Amino acid sequence: MNKNKKIKRTLEIIPGAISWGIIIFFVAMSVFKPVACAILVIIFCFYWIIRTVYLTTLLIMAYRKLALQKDRNWLEDCQNLSPHKNWQRIYHLVIFPVYNEGLDVLRPSLEALKQSHYPKDKMIIVMAFEERNRDCRDKASCLEDEFKGAFLHYLSSFHPDGLPGETRNKGANATWAAKEAKELLDSHKIPYEDVLISCFDADTCPDKEYFACLTYHFLTSAKPHQASYQPMPVYNNNVWYAPSFARLVEISASFCQMIESIRLEKFVTFSSHSMSFKTLIEINYWPTDMISDDSVVYWKAFLFYNGNYRVIPLYITVSMDMAYSSNFFKTIWIQYKQKRRWAWGVENFPFLVSRLLNNKNISLANKIRRPFNLLESHVTWAVWAVIITVIAPLPILLGGAFFAQMPIGYNLPRVTGLLLNFTLGTSIIWILLSRTILPPRPKDVKWIKNIVLIAEWIIVPLIILLLGSTPALDAQTRLLLGRYMQFQTTRKWRKK
Amino acid sequence: MQSYTGRVNIGGMLPEQKIRAILYYLSLLTFFLGLPFILSGALGYKFDPHTFKFTKTGLLSLKTQPAGAAIYLGEKILNPKTPASLEELLPGKYNLKVELEGYYPWIGEVLVEAGKVTRVEKIILFPLRPLIKQLNIDRLTSFWIDEEKNNIYYADEENGNVYRSDLGGGRYEKIATCLPEVSAPRKYKVSWDRNKVACFNRSKIGVSFCDTHKELASGPRSFVVPHPDEAIIDIFWHSDSYHLVVITNSSIEVLEAQPNAVAVSLVKLNKKNVPSFYDKNTDILYFLDSQLAQDGKTYDNLYQLKLESRFSPF
Repeated sequence: MNKNKKIKRTLEIIPGAISWGIIIFFVAMSVFKPVACAILVIIFCFYWIIRTVYLTTLLIMAYRKLALQKDRNWLEDCQNLSPHKNWQRIYHLVIFPVYNEGLDVLRPSLEALKQSHYPKDKMIIVMAFEERNRDCRDKASCLEDEFKGAFLHYLSSFHPDGLPGETRNKGANATWAAKEAKELLDSHKIPYEDVLISCFDADTCPDKEYFACLTYHFLTSAKPHQASYQPMPVYNNNVWYAPSFARLVEISASFCQMIESIRLEKFVTFSSHSMSFKTLIEINYWPTDMISDDSVVYWKAFLFYNGNYRVIPLYITVSMDMAYSSNFFKTIWIQYKQKRRWAWGVENFPFLVSRLLNNKNISLANKIRRPFNLLESHVTWAVWAVIITVIAPLPILLGGAFFAQMPIGYNLPRVTGLLLNFTLGTSIIWILLSRTILPPRPKDVKWIKNIVLIAEWIIVPLIILLLGSTPALDAQTRLLLGRYMQFQTTRKWRKK
Repeated sequence: MQSYTGRVNIGGMLPEQKIRAILYYLSLLTFFLGLPFILSGALGYKFDPHTFKFTKTGLLSLKTQPAGAAIYLGEKILNPKTPASLEELLPGKYNLKVELEGYYPWIGEVLVEAGKVTRVEKIILFPLRPLIKQLNIDRLTSFWIDEEKNNIYYADEENGNVYRSDLGGGRYEKIATCLPEVSAPRKYKVSWDRNKVACFNRSKIGVSFCDTHKELASGPRSFVVPHPDEAIIDIFWHSDSYHLVVITNSSIEVLEAQPNAVAVSLVKLNKKNVPSFYDKNTDILYFLDSQLAQDGKTYDNLYQLKLESRFSPF
């Protein structure tokens, strides 16, 4: 194994080793040093309460920004910009990587673009199909017939399978589509600097003001090419029809993104996002051999610009589908796989660190801080629910009669219970906010669903371990063992 | 307009970043200030605001049956009722009283040790007016409990009737009548299959069949086995509910529970009125008997006699 591969493998082992190390450490402590373990559990619970309160406050701040800008007329703001900004020179290139999504998913996404307030003659749409999908050409043809004339350009690309250096993932498909779009831009002599590219999931329905909002931020930000633009993802396309726990998990994911939008130094791109097409070309597009292309593209740009690259949050929503299936257990499995795929973003850690080691232009502070933040977020994701639900009772179960005779043995469940009861207040805030980001109730959904949407939060303690930490631990363990994941699309389907 | 400075510099930051910075440091402060108090409380230390010292305390855990009793520590009544845990108690002895209306109070002295939990969790409060209920309907002279079937058996020696009920006195019924030939029976023994009742006096054993259809069964199915030779001390039903093990003053015998049964003597005893116990699960009889030792003295020994089927003399 050459040196680079050794470094890469070592870095791949680190996140899983730390996570498992923490868990094993706690378990061993609960057997051999239950008092010390109990102390650590109490410290962790107290830290977690404060962290929850802190993050919930950030959530309120982000939500407030989203609410304040909800009805803002971004197109008008663009029009009111000074003439030298010239918003009308900006084109929007939108790529939808598609695999096996049906027309019932693709059509609403394109309809949402049609409904956009931004001038359609400034929009170029690329539906990026995988050639290996048998009915891709039929779907492409169907959509072309419907939407071809609605935009400046509409084209379908067909990504061949098995190209050298590629694995089967969304990034490879998107890159192929972007290269085809580049040829189109070249043929029309549209400068790359004036093109903003948005890579959307196949089920993404952006807000009507999204592209105007994006244009405005691009034109008013310092060094706009040195930024990605991240909207707030919500999963509202089928929220009223999804099972309770799927809804809770996806709403929590939306909230996490909103929280991250305030923590700018940790903010990276996720799922549907936008960036300068010029920058995308300079960094050689998305990775074609990694699953977490949405975040790796950010790190590529970060490295390219020697750390002078950031994500600008757009407080405007893009709506996607919740992942669920026809029955309870299939839905759990789908959700689990999706969360595991998200957690596979831990592959960013070895990617980033191995390149930072060779980069002499990025400050030492950044070289330490960014990987640390990345590592800390993934390790926390993997262990926090395990510590609170599984580890916390262990000193009492395994500590023996001696531990039970001590005040800490007696107080541990009461102290942790009391501390965690404080999170009830933050839970209420999350419940209230979750209600406000939902779209209006469809007519075929009964009113009682409003009550269900509030009451279902009671099952959060049951799902935090299953769909919280476990997928993250699974992903990190696979990386640790070198069992690399293959990209698996999340099956999306809409209620007919 | 969004821009990112990447540095914690309050002067040049966006408003929400300023708020965030303030929140961040406030959270840190809360964590480091609050943690000592939380940990000290969990570890059983009490903070004295006058002396600014942490004193190691003990914890007293109280449970009573029934719960809800008032707690007096010394002369002072405490807020919580049982079950309760009294925290931050300085080490030492405490006079403890637990009171519940309608019950006798419990009074005791407890020792609280530093850094330990003292558990007083087995307090049973007894009612001032115990709940007493009469179970038998007819006259009785003795009773015994069948724990396995949760039944009570009642016997009236004068008329030889045997009754049965559940443990609450319900389903009270007459199940058998011992023959009058067995006058002044010493004991009654129900067979393991609950179909027969044996009673005995010094010289007779009577066996009556229980009626499962609530009719009296003191007819031809009942019988008496005379045993005039040796005084009968005790009898036991074998697990087959067909044989009886008879302890007399001089021997251990077995006989079939049928008319005209002939007893088979298994063991000669040296002692009279030997104590005995029969384990029906293993069909083993345990009995005390005396033995002359080599030193010329007589000692009592405990013996085990196996009567299970493969050892059976039947």
